[in-house]
Amino acid sequence: MAKRIVLSSVLAVLIVAGLLPVLAMGVKSIIVDGRFSLENYKALLTLGRAQTLISHSVALSLLTTFFATIIGLPLGILFGKTDLPFGKLLIVLFAIPLLIPPYITAISWFYILGREGVIGRWLGPSLAELTSKWLFGLPGCVLILFSTFLPIVILLTVTYLKTINPRLEEAGRLVSDWPGVMRSITIPLILPGVLLAVMLVFLLSLGEFSVPSFLRYNVFPVESFTQFSAFLNFSAATVAAIPLAIVTFFVLALESYFLREKTYQVRPVHGTSFTERIQLGRNRNWLFALSALLCFVIVILPSLVLIVQSLSVNAYSLAIAKAGDSLIRSLLYAAVGASVLTVIGFLSGYLVQTRALPFWQTTDSLTIFLFALPSTVIGIGLISLWNRPWTNFIYATPVIIIIGYVAQYAAISSRITVSMLTQIPPSMEEAAQVAGAGWFRRMALIVAPLAKRGLMAAWLVGFIFCVRDTGISMIVYPPGLDTLPVRTFTLMANAPAGLTSALCVIMICAALVPVGILTAAFKARML
Amino acid sequence: MKRIFVGSILLILAASLWGCGRRAAEVVVYTSEDQVFSEPILKDFEKETGIQVKAVYDTEESKSTGAMNRLLAEKDNPQADVYWANEPVRAEILRQRGISAQYVSPNAKGIPDNFKNPEGQWTGFSARARILLVKKSLTEKPRSILSYTEPRWKGRVVIANPLFGTTTAEIAALFIVWGDNKTKTFLDAMKRNQIRISTSNGESADLVASGEFDFALVDSDDGVSRMKQGKPVEVVFPDQDKADVGSFIVPNAVVFIKGAPHPDNAKKLIDYLLSKETERKLAFAECAQIPLHPGVETPPVVRRIETIKTMKVDYAEVAKKMQEIQPVLKTWVGY
Repeated sequence: MAKRIVLSSVLAVLIVAGLLPVLAMGVKSIIVDGRFSLENYKALLTLGRAQTLISHSVALSLLTTFFATIIGLPLGILFGKTDLPFGKLLIVLFAIPLLIPPYITAISWFYILGREGVIGRWLGPSLAELTSKWLFGLPGCVLILFSTFLPIVILLTVTYLKTINPRLEEAGRLVSDWPGVMRSITIPLILPGVLLAVMLVFLLSLGEFSVPSFLRYNVFPVESFTQFSAFLNFSAATVAAIPLAIVTFFVLALESYFLREKTYQVRPVHGTSFTERIQLGRNRNWLFALSALLCFVIVILPSLVLIVQSLSVNAYSLAIAKAGDSLIRSLLYAAVGASVLTVIGFLSGYLVQTRALPFWQTTDSLTIFLFALPSTVIGIGLISLWNRPWTNFIYATPVIIIIGYVAQYAAISSRITVSMLTQIPPSMEEAAQVAGAGWFRRMALIVAPLAKRGLMAAWLVGFIFCVRDTGISMIVYPPGLDTLPVRTFTLMANAPAGLTSALCVIMICAALVPVGILTAAFKARML
Repeated sequence: MKRIFVGSILLILAASLWGCGRRAAEVVVYTSEDQVFSEPILKDFEKETGIQVKAVYDTEESKSTGAMNRLLAEKDNPQADVYWANEPVRAEILRQRGISAQYVSPNAKGIPDNFKNPEGQWTGFSARARILLVKKSLTEKPRSILSYTEPRWKGRVVIANPLFGTTTAEIAALFIVWGDNKTKTFLDAMKRNQIRISTSNGESADLVASGEFDFALVDSDDGVSRMKQGKPVEVVFPDQDKADVGSFIVPNAVVFIKGAPHPDNAKKLIDYLLSKETERKLAFAECAQIPLHPGVETPPVVRRIETIKTMKVDYAEVAKKMQEIQPVLKTWVGY
């Protein structure tokens, strides 16, 4: 009974935090001047630009997914399966763009490829003109989203490689060389993980607003924002998000049909004394050079440009003076958000993994759906739902931001928990049950301690996503209580380049330093 | 697990109490004036009055969904006391949607009537003018926005997307001043003259500053900032002859929100924003805005309002016209 109540409450929380706001927006989209009307939907279908928006959105998502996969998969294999030097360091470096708001990466590329950027200063204005045109369009958007989401493919590939029983590959090696083993055994075994990465990259690229908006490339999320901001039309904005919702549903349905059972089985192999690594031999050096070069171009160079731009006498003191309070708030909100997400994710992950109640699949799909939905829709939905005199204690306080985080990012902590719980034999909980332990005691004394590493990982990843969040926070933050990404975004307009760069560098540190310290602390405790 | 759970609850409670513990001496302002310009003014107000300012910032340049949308969404339960708009059309839309309230500040005295709502629903202050930013090297410079249609500038001129911001407002004003036929003919002639459409006034200014185009119709602060950066450009106030329509002026506008939670402090902030001292500060700031009070000290790059021939329009009509001409503009842009 206790289990039923608690797990049902998790679904209720997700519905209240995420689904109701979205439904509130959906209702608004069919009410025009107080009456039922499908006018906004008709307008979308007859919109002259609808075809352009569809082709832009699909092209951006497909190209980003394509490049992230064909480069991320080999890199993941190189880092996770071969004797490439500094593999772990490269994984950490490649992960940096995922930890910071994508628009910051866009700003740094603007300082490189823009009309008055580094290229222009070094190689002349005519080339800069060309690179600027290239940046402000599909190629620029693809470059930035590719560098942002590439770590998803790399990390999932590395993670799934750890799930392969080395004996299978060893057996394969008896009759074939490594390329053959990779083709016939390794890649088919990690395929579910790669396809999960493909799905995530596709959905995240499809819903991304800040980069196409900054680079003035019209896609559906930008259209939705434009309807909000320029035409002040909430209904049309919601309608503009409908194609995204449809595509998300479609992709989720595919995942549910083909992948779900397989992607849950992330179970690193234990008990094997030796996992064979591919010896790269004479290819080792040039493959390392190539990986390092890519890392330099898409990670180090943009960060360096920001650091160099910010190296002025006053930039950092001015940045701290203008945004120090926002930085502290960002860290606090992210810590609270990550803690709540860990609890919600743990319970929903438990529900999904154990299939304890019939609505486990609904819970899982809901979290993924909310994760892929544009933050604009969730944000405005939260305002519509919570801005009432009797809910001011939520709406006029940072609690509204935390609710937004729960709505958008529950999928991450839930999926991490699922992966961790699959590694815990069900017999552990069953034994405690036989001994008479109630569900709360089993969860508190058996499951949670055994899933401790997963919970810590969920907290860290939740923290990263909350601290880098721009979309939700920007729409719902209470007056005077903004976060650092929001402050950076609003200060960017007409601020000196040094100040903007310093804010971006502080933002990167705000994401990386706490994560580094906490990771080190967690590791120390584990040892 | 237990500790995480308890910790979360405590942190949420702390966060709630932190947010709930509103001080009496505070005022909530939403502003679409860029934060780099508005924040110093609001900080000065805090220092001088001891009233804490809680702000929600927005930015026109990024077209972010911010302050204005919040005000509309919060209509039935207002959180804001004051809206500081960076142009009067948004203020006028708020009036039309019943979100603004009446307040005639004593400091509004002296501001010309055409920059104020007659019922005190909003009041204009520190303005930008719509100007032509022109390449310095041109021997013969454009003097009117009609220059956009002259064959000698074919393919060499740029304008910001008229679906957004101050460009929309100016075209709506032209529809009022010139009438529908003349303005539509003007728009068609611009198109025939192969005008380039940029995404914002800032981009238009950059395109002229980099020498790619000969001139652009932009806001005066865009022009002044490029001049301060040492770019080879100069500012031309268009249509200044006696028979001309004059320069379109875009004042900031301050709005008292209906049902404001802190009405007294809101009025104090409005008075402060409408003071001559605030106008002086905004004239000397990077945004180089034109004071609307007579006799306010200005730097050399900022022209006094009394020396400019301004376009005489009713901003309420402009706001209405903007909605009306959306289909025409969408077709013109190919949206």
